[in-house]
Amino acid sequence: MLHRRMLLAVAGIAALIAPWEAAAQKTIKVGYPMILSGPGALFGEPALKGAQMYVDEINAAGGVLGRKFELIPRDTKGNADEAVRVSRELILKDNVDFLVGTLTSAEGPAVSTIAKENKIVFIAPIPKTDQLTAKANLHPYVFRSASNTTIEGRTAAEIVAKWGLKKIATISPDYAYGQDVTKAFVEHLKKIKPDTEIVDQQWPKLGEADYTPFINAQMAKKPDAVFSSLWGGHFLTFAKQAKPLGYFDAVKYNFIGAGEAASIESARTMGADYPVGIWGNSYDVNNWPGGPPAHKTYIDKLRTYTKQENPSSWPVTGYVAMQFLAEAIKKAGSTDSDKVAKALTGLSIDTPIGKQTLREKDHQANRGQFWGKTVNDPKLGHATMQEVLYIDPAPFMD
Amino acid sequence: MTRPLINRIPWTLIVFLVLLPVPFLGSRFYTFVATDIVILSLFATSLNLLLGTTGLVTFGHAAYFSIGAYTTALLMKNLGFPFLPSWIAGGLMAAGFALVFGFFCVRLTKIYFAMLTLAFAQIVWAICFKWNDVTGGEQGLPNVPYPGLDWMEVLPLIGDLRVSDKFYYVALALVALCYAALRRITLSPFGRVLTVIRDNPERAQFIGVNVRLYELAAFMVSGAFAGLSGALFGIFNRGVFPDFAFWTKSAEPLIMTILGGMAHFWGPAVGAAALILLNQQITSYTEYWPFVLGGVLIVLLFVFPGGIVGTLTKLGRRIGGRDA
Repeated sequence: MLHRRMLLAVAGIAALIAPWEAAAQKTIKVGYPMILSGPGALFGEPALKGAQMYVDEINAAGGVLGRKFELIPRDTKGNADEAVRVSRELILKDNVDFLVGTLTSAEGPAVSTIAKENKIVFIAPIPKTDQLTAKANLHPYVFRSASNTTIEGRTAAEIVAKWGLKKIATISPDYAYGQDVTKAFVEHLKKIKPDTEIVDQQWPKLGEADYTPFINAQMAKKPDAVFSSLWGGHFLTFAKQAKPLGYFDAVKYNFIGAGEAASIESARTMGADYPVGIWGNSYDVNNWPGGPPAHKTYIDKLRTYTKQENPSSWPVTGYVAMQFLAEAIKKAGSTDSDKVAKALTGLSIDTPIGKQTLREKDHQANRGQFWGKTVNDPKLGHATMQEVLYIDPAPFMD
Repeated sequence: MTRPLINRIPWTLIVFLVLLPVPFLGSRFYTFVATDIVILSLFATSLNLLLGTTGLVTFGHAAYFSIGAYTTALLMKNLGFPFLPSWIAGGLMAAGFALVFGFFCVRLTKIYFAMLTLAFAQIVWAICFKWNDVTGGEQGLPNVPYPGLDWMEVLPLIGDLRVSDKFYYVALALVALCYAALRRITLSPFGRVLTVIRDNPERAQFIGVNVRLYELAAFMVSGAFAGLSGALFGIFNRGVFPDFAFWTKSAEPLIMTILGGMAHFWGPAVGAAALILLNQQITSYTEYWPFVLGGVLIVLLFVFPGGIVGTLTKLGRRIGGRDA
């Protein structure tokens, strides 16, 4: 009896100590710094969900190299310094093997510095700033499965060039993202359609509450078409004020909204207020008629996973980033950061949105977005893209 | 009257010595948390020169923290200046701005003073956020270099450490110097006059104290040390961001100071340690951290009305049987 009790005690102590060793041996730990509180959580939460869905999927299939993934999310609170703090904590305390995450263009480069310092592979699924993978900031461990401002601006220019209109105006929030994407749009449009005339550029401050003066000033210049990079809630505020002023009618709905203006979140929130007929983009669509079968499978799985008929358009960002990581580990046959970094460089994988490649040159994926003209969908009760256009940015990324 | 024993103990030196072995405890995580606490405790203590010593409530202390951080980061990253002059420049720049802003702020009292400090801080934030060419705009300045610490290699024990551990020693030594200076200032005749102003500004005026001038001086000194703390934090954080100047950042040292106890010189430092450890523990266990953190803070404020240090000294007195 005594013997047995002692065995139990030993087993108990072993059970207390063992998880430390065993867990470190078994799971592949991935730190996931993401905005999970405040207004940004509207996008951060679904981006985490997508990553979690991929992890559940691959774990159910036995994991990678016989090891399961463990996703450790941390709230960055939308602050770059908090993102740095939690990333360091993930590396130093939770001993994560990899970092995937961050949302804003401030968080991305900030965490990239930490990844470099600790020689940990970091994949950015959302931040769009060109700075992240620009020559001066590129290092062996940073990768971006997200789109970037050059891609987004130039894609919009490719679309607008086909409209055959001359007098173009822009309206964008006055900070880094708005300026960069607008510059990319204007420069590329002038290059592919030299007779373009930029008749007006409005720069409301980020978070502007009253867009009326900007709207009136722009209408006075009588542009044929407008490019906007007002994103998320900023676009909603702007469009609600612009519609009654006849702004969209004045440009005959030749309006193209970058910054996910045609995402399901924006359309659903605005409902009947949405300026139906404009063009916009989105990370994902729930109905892609011309898409690969993999996309349909993915959306079906996402519907089951989120228990939503019309899930958010953001999970795909986290899903694809985790997919890149898993495929790279498979290819490297190891979880060693240097080997995985090498495997990620130039890696091509089949994702729900088609073939994606992390270019050798700048570790940037050829991540386009979905663009389309919006129409009312009576079934959904809000606007949706009429024809979904996925433009592969590979030809004009440089 | 001799000073009580507790005041004669060289606390700064003791705390400094106690914190020395942290990098040898075996986990880089401890060094990381300790560096965070050491640097931000200076931020909180600099605020307490205004709050606890002079009785001025400011909602805009982050302005000087960020000015110091940006100045040092710009000098080191873009102009390649060595660390020490950049760090001092960060403090001086913060002091300069504190002088200018303070000039207007001390003309107001109470809530109006607080609101004006907040307004100036938001101006600083707007400049950091929008002046893309210099401050990097929304994205800030990532990749701030560590100071060149090769000279440390000749030191015994420390020489073989990682750069983050070495930086911990740099921060610890510099912050200890700042603490010694702040302690001297608080206990000096100048500091005593500030306390008089806190307790009764009208009376101070009547006995011939130029209240505004003293308040302005306190504002500037406090801003300078906030700048020095920000300069260290920018390097520790490996990047400076406009968030550093946002009003929520100004709330941090306020919470630390009130939590630790503003009536005591070491209160803010204890509060800083408590808040950082709480935040770190809670955010790693639950995504509902704002709820838990807020709840814990409310309980702490009720249980420790004079802050942690205030309650502990009261307790110590009761146990020691000394009359208060």
